[in-house]
Amino acid sequence: MKTCPYCAHNNREGVFFCEECGHPFVGDQEAVLATTRLIQQEAAGANRVAWGTAHFHQNARLVVRVREHPEALVFHLQDELLIGRADPQMNSQPDLDLMPYGAVEQGVSRRHAKIQRIDETLMLVDLESTNGTYLNGQRLLPNQPRMLRDGDEVRLGQLVLHVFFS
Amino acid sequence: MDILHNLYAILGLAPEAKQEEIRDAYRVLARRFHPDANRNEGADVLFRDIATAYEILGDPTQRVRYDAQRIRSAEVNEPNYFSLRVTPSKRVLPTLDEPQVFYLLVEIVPMREVTKQGRHSTPLNLVLVLDRSTSMRGARLDKVKIAARQIIDQLGPKDILSVVAFSDRADVLIEAGPVTDPAELRATVSIMRANGGTEIYHGLAAGIEQCRKHAGPHMVNHVILLTDGRTFGDEERSLALAKEAAKEGIGISAMGIGDEWNDVFLDALAAASGGTSAYINSPAAVVRFLNDRVRSLGEAFVERLQLTVAPDADVTLESAFKLHPTPQPLATSPQPIPVGTLEKKRPSAVLLQLQMPPSDKEHFRTVVRLDVTGDVLAANRMGYKVISDISVEVAHNPEQEEPPSVILDALGKLTLYRMQQKAEQALQQGDAANATRRLENLATRLLAAGQEELAQIAKEEARRVSQTRTFSEEGRKGLKFGTRMLLALPQPGGDSGA
Repeated sequence: MKTCPYCAHNNREGVFFCEECGHPFVGDQEAVLATTRLIQQEAAGANRVAWGTAHFHQNARLVVRVREHPEALVFHLQDELLIGRADPQMNSQPDLDLMPYGAVEQGVSRRHAKIQRIDETLMLVDLESTNGTYLNGQRLLPNQPRMLRDGDEVRLGQLVLHVFFS
Repeated sequence: MDILHNLYAILGLAPEAKQEEIRDAYRVLARRFHPDANRNEGADVLFRDIATAYEILGDPTQRVRYDAQRIRSAEVNEPNYFSLRVTPSKRVLPTLDEPQVFYLLVEIVPMREVTKQGRHSTPLNLVLVLDRSTSMRGARLDKVKIAARQIIDQLGPKDILSVVAFSDRADVLIEAGPVTDPAELRATVSIMRANGGTEIYHGLAAGIEQCRKHAGPHMVNHVILLTDGRTFGDEERSLALAKEAAKEGIGISAMGIGDEWNDVFLDALAAASGGTSAYINSPAAVVRFLNDRVRSLGEAFVERLQLTVAPDADVTLESAFKLHPTPQPLATSPQPIPVGTLEKKRPSAVLLQLQMPPSDKEHFRTVVRLDVTGDVLAANRMGYKVISDISVEVAHNPEQEEPPSVILDALGKLTLYRMQQKAEQALQQGDAANATRRLENLATRLLAAGQEELAQIAKEEARRVSQTRTFSEEGRKGLKFGTRMLLALPQPGGDSGA
C-alpha cells in the first residue's frame, strides 16, 4: 500500500501517481511534476534516463554483465556473437560461454541465442533454445531477430544479462 | 483458419519443433488460457487460435498437409511488416501480500525497410459527412468548406471521395467516385447552405452507404463526421451502424465543433472502429483538424489493426489507452480491441494497466499474451498477425529502479485526463464537493506541469461547480480534450528494427 503524502489516499503498489489527487510518487518530485519538461530535456540530450538507444556505432563495444556478477564482459563485435554454454563433448564453444555463471542450473542451452550486427544496430535472435530468450520480459519467437538497445535486459532461461553499448 | 496464420508462432515454436514439443507447448498454453482456467475475455479469444493451431499441428497427418501449404504460400519468406515493442513499468516486481499495479507500453512499430517499398501513398476511400444545420451558419460552415476544398486538392484519381451534407435529412453532394475533376468537386462543395436541425443518423447512414460502394480491403475506407450539434433519440441506432461498418472494414472519425455536441456519443462512435474523436474549439481550427486527419489516413500502412490482450488467469486488465497516433481511451471489452490505423512512419502505442495478484514466491512468471492483427495495405496482406508473450521476474526486495521515462510521461498526463473524468463522474453522482476538490487538485497538477491555460480552466470550473453544481460545456470539453491532447506531444523512441 502506498499512502499519498498529499491527500492520504491509499493507493495500490506499482502506481506512480496518486489515483485520487495525481500527486507523483517517484523520483525527484520537481522533475516528475514537470514530466513534459523532463522529456524535452531528454530529447535535447541533457539528461537521458530512458532505457537506451538502438544506435551501435562503428567502433562501439558490447558490454555484457551477468546479474549478481561484478565483472563486465567486453566484446568487439564482428558479425555475430554466439551465446550459450560450452560442452566439449558436443563440440560446442560459444563466443560468450555462460558455464561459469551456472548455465546448466539456469536452463541455458548450448546454442541459446546470438547477437547479430546489422549496419549500426544489434539484433538478438533466439536459436530455438529450450527455455526461451526474453528481451525486457518479452519472449522472442525462435529465429526472429529483435533489435537490442543500450541497457536492455536479456534473459536466457533464468539467467539475467544486461547489455550496454560503449 | 486462414492458412496464412503462422500456427507455429501461435504455439511459440519453430517450424522444426518435434511432435512432443508441440504437445508440451499446447499444454502450457491451455493451462494459461483455457476458459475453464482463465476468465479474462481476451484469453477466451486467443485460446480459440491456440486450440485450432494444436488441432492441426498436434496431428502429424494434418501437420504435413499444413507444412506443405505453408511452404507453397508466400508466408515462409514473408517479411516482418510490423513488430511489437513492449516496455514494462518495472523489470522486477516485488513479492507482496497485496495486489499491485503493472503497466505495459505496447508499441506497434512499422518495419522501416518494408514501408520504404510502397512509396506512393495509400489510396483512400473517403467520405466527408458534414453538418449543415442552421447553427453551422457563418464562420463554421465557411471553414468547413475551405477544409473540404483543401482535402479535394490533396486527393488524386486513385482516391475515392464522397461528400454528404446533413441536417435533419441527408443530401449526397458528391457521389462516391474517383477524384478526376477537382475543380468541379470544389464548386459543388461551395454551394452548401446551412439550414435545419441536426440528426446524425441520417448523415451517417448516407455516408456509410457511399463508403460501401467502393470499399475494399486494399484501401483505407473511412468516414469523417463533423458536427456541431447534439443528436436526439438516434444515438443507439447510430452506434449500431458504426459497429456494423467497422465489421465491414469502414472506420469512422468524429469531430465536434463548439460546445453543443455529445462528446461521450462521438467517442463511442469513433471507438467502434478504432477511429479518432476530437474537439475543435474554434472554426479556424477546423481546416487543420480535417487536413491532419486525411493526411494521417493517407500515411496508412496497416489498416483495421486489432489488439487482443489475454492476461494470465490471476492477472486483470484494468484499462487501455491509445497514446499514438492520436490519444484515445479504448474500451477493454469487447475483444479484440480496435486500434485503427498504423502509419508508415510513426508507431502506434497503447498503454495497458494490469493488476498483478499477491505473491510471496520468487520466480519468473508469464503475465499476458498480446496479439495484434491488421491488414497490410501496400503488400496486399490481410490479417497479418504478431504475437508476443510478456513475462516478468518477481523477487524479494528488488533493487530500486528508475521507471522508464516514456511510461512515466504518459502516466503523468493520463493521470490528468483521469482526474478530469473523475470530477465529471462525481458531479453526475451529485457530489459537487467531491467534484470541486478534484478540479482543484487538477488545477494544481496542471500548473505544476506548466499547463497554465488548462489550469486556469480547471480553476474556473472548480469555482463554477462549487457555486452552481454544473460545469460549463465549454470548460468541461476544453478540459477533457485538452488533457487528452497533452498525451499527443512528441515522444522519444520508436525506432523500427532492421
